[in-house]
Amino acid sequence: MSLEKAATTPPSAQRRRGGFAQHMNEVSLFVAIALLYIVFTATAGGFMTFNNQINILRDAATIGIAAWAATLIIISGEIDVSVGPMVAFISVALAYLLQWGVPTPIAFVLAIAIGAALASIAGILRAYFDVPTFVGTLGLWSALRGTALFVTDALPVSIGRNDIVDMLDRPILGVPPAAIIMLVLFAVFAFVSRKTAFGRSVFAIGGNPHAAFLSGINVARIRVALFAIAGAMAAVSGILLLSRLGSGNATAASGLEFDVIAAVVVGGTALSGGRGSMLGTLLGVLVITLIGNGLVLLGINPFFQQVVRGLIIVVAVLANIQAIKRSAMRNKG
Amino acid sequence: MIESAASQSPTRTIIASIAGCTKRYPGVLALDNASFDIAAGEVRALLGKNGAGKSTLIRMLTGADVPDAGTVHIGGEPLTQSGSARAQESFALGVRVVYQELSLVPGMSLAENLFLGRWPGKAGVLNYADMQAQAAEAMARLGLDLPPSRLVAGLSPAERQLLEIARVLLGKPKLVILDEPTSSLAAAEAEKVMTAVKRIASEGIAVIYVSHRMNEIRQIARSATVMRDGRIVDTMDVAGADTRDIVRLMLGSEAGQVAALETRTRKNVVLEVSNLALQPKLSSISFKLQEGEVLGIAGLLGSGRTELLQSIIGVRSFDAGTVMVDGKPARRPNYRQMLDAGFGYTPESRKEEGIVPLLGVDENTVSTDFSSVSRYGVLSARRMANATRKVIQRLHVKTAQTDTPIGTLSGGNQQKIVIGRWVHADSRILLLDEPTRGVDVEAKAQIYAIIRQLAAEGRSIIFVSSEIEELPLVCDRVVVLREGTLKEEFISPDIDQDAVMAACIAGH
Repeated sequence: MSLEKAATTPPSAQRRRGGFAQHMNEVSLFVAIALLYIVFTATAGGFMTFNNQINILRDAATIGIAAWAATLIIISGEIDVSVGPMVAFISVALAYLLQWGVPTPIAFVLAIAIGAALASIAGILRAYFDVPTFVGTLGLWSALRGTALFVTDALPVSIGRNDIVDMLDRPILGVPPAAIIMLVLFAVFAFVSRKTAFGRSVFAIGGNPHAAFLSGINVARIRVALFAIAGAMAAVSGILLLSRLGSGNATAASGLEFDVIAAVVVGGTALSGGRGSMLGTLLGVLVITLIGNGLVLLGINPFFQQVVRGLIIVVAVLANIQAIKRSAMRNKG
Repeated sequence: MIESAASQSPTRTIIASIAGCTKRYPGVLALDNASFDIAAGEVRALLGKNGAGKSTLIRMLTGADVPDAGTVHIGGEPLTQSGSARAQESFALGVRVVYQELSLVPGMSLAENLFLGRWPGKAGVLNYADMQAQAAEAMARLGLDLPPSRLVAGLSPAERQLLEIARVLLGKPKLVILDEPTSSLAAAEAEKVMTAVKRIASEGIAVIYVSHRMNEIRQIARSATVMRDGRIVDTMDVAGADTRDIVRLMLGSEAGQVAALETRTRKNVVLEVSNLALQPKLSSISFKLQEGEVLGIAGLLGSGRTELLQSIIGVRSFDAGTVMVDGKPARRPNYRQMLDAGFGYTPESRKEEGIVPLLGVDENTVSTDFSSVSRYGVLSARRMANATRKVIQRLHVKTAQTDTPIGTLSGGNQQKIVIGRWVHADSRILLLDEPTRGVDVEAKAQIYAIIRQLAAEGRSIIFVSSEIEELPLVCDRVVVLREGTLKEEFISPDIDQDAVMAACIAGH
């Protein structure tokens, strides 16, 4: 039946893949962001100031850099819950490296390598030993936070004066480097996900791992690579965290993994794998960041903020799913 | 002939009967004025090739469908309802089906599975003692001697099948329909199922037994009903019937449409398998595949065809034997190495293992070789579209765009892409597992032509099919896989489908 339809419908009508319906998800997220802007501008004093907008960008970077990698992981049908502890662990490890006098650029490279190596443990366990990534990364989540706390006694590890590290926190034309790094990485990830064999293989694996394997895609290697990339991205966040705080901190980035997963899911990526987009995640990161920022400015009780955030996230995903369903129904009829 | 079966036992009480039933689905006459009856305690074999109308006949009995004409009686009562009420009506009158797809929960005990969803107890609190006692009794009826508290997870396939039958028996059925219950079992295992079938028949329950294994049928059934093209062509005594005659009834007069295959002189052996064994399915399998040859492997469902292909190409490991590619041994074939050596494999279940439905036709095509459509590691949209267009044209794929999601295409067009991705990768040895399954007639003919064309280019192809009639159309040579090893060999133009079918179902 679908064959007949495909064969007889003129190409213009078939161009749905790149059309409006395909981007229903992004469109509804734009609307959500616009609404958040309108509401917070009207109610929260200081929301629309330049400084606050810069703050939003900086906060978005913390979630965003990790969320780009998490999007690929979730599209491939896996999950990573170890982000927060990984960021904190790397900031501590980097602080020690710098204390020991390792040259700063080499310390950065080492930090990224350590992040990639540690996270790829979860990937290897998944790819070669069938350990679910939720379990593997949960193990990392606990072990990394524990190690960092144990080694530092939960005290900040100061690094003293370091020009390169300080530079990373100095705005360029008013824009924090973290935000620039986030946007550059976004472009890289968007490109990789759409335009490289690696990126398309990730979608294939998430959509049907058996078919991907049988068509010759190296499923195991890609799974390991995805987690190595996620570890490297968490390390980049760790470096930026260190530059912002001036010290390695074992208690930092608490709960970051949930903000990251929430941003990816709000962005329309399916937790079941095979479907998702980087643009969606970018918008999802903005939604999550805006909500956090606005609620603080509104002076809402910090405990109650968590309640509001939880509700908004669930409602956003619910509305999004409904919108996509409705547009799919219209397309059919 | 129907009368002759009936006359064996003059006191037979009819449990179920179908009179003059006709059922038409869009484009197919699935059941054509069929009449059928079965008596208490009788085991009736139901034979016919795919699409002969066996499933439709069963759907009439279970009330899953309403006939366009004719009546269905169960235990003397006519089925009068329509819609889902009809199935409930038939169920209440004692009709049960045990399907091939098993529906057990591996993590629960045997007893819990037997009573799944209807666990005995009061006010939601389960009475385990009662449940286990009843379960033990039900299993003993089938000779299944296992503790009811054991988990299903550790059971053998035959034990699972028996458990399914035991579950059905708890509802005190009058008619039990078994749909190829032994197709996934090794011979010794199948024996247990057949013993169980004999037991339930001895309790006065009527059994319809769908199978193609003549040795099984001869053991347990006295009579067999043969269907073809929606009609019941004969009901006969099994004892006096010759296997070749039964095959002729199943296939009708379709024989003789063998397309002329050009005979070529060949020399290069590209693949040689010797003494391959895979417990418990396969033993001492040996054959050679020549360059440009289409080798058909015929065999019944569950004969180990898929396991054989997957062993050769390294998707699963085998126990003994060697696989030689171009004269060089590949002792433990690894799938990725075999692909590099020029192999391609299309799986039997297209939806589960063949396609990524959400991705486009293009991405499903080029996934076997991204490098040829990339520049500096970046996918080129133009090259990808060109490569896809080439495959689409060569294999006559109907799709609106090269990037249309493949899930929206018809089965035949999806299948062509699953084959075509190996053309894109320029593989020279193709292992095709049931490439025409679930594909319409026109697409089937196109796929045959594609396979012949690929062979003419010098590619070597192993073609696995359970539809015997298509083997003479595409194969240069056919080997029959039965009882875990390769038996007869037929060489074109002497591939006679009756003989191949008889070889597939022949007894010990």
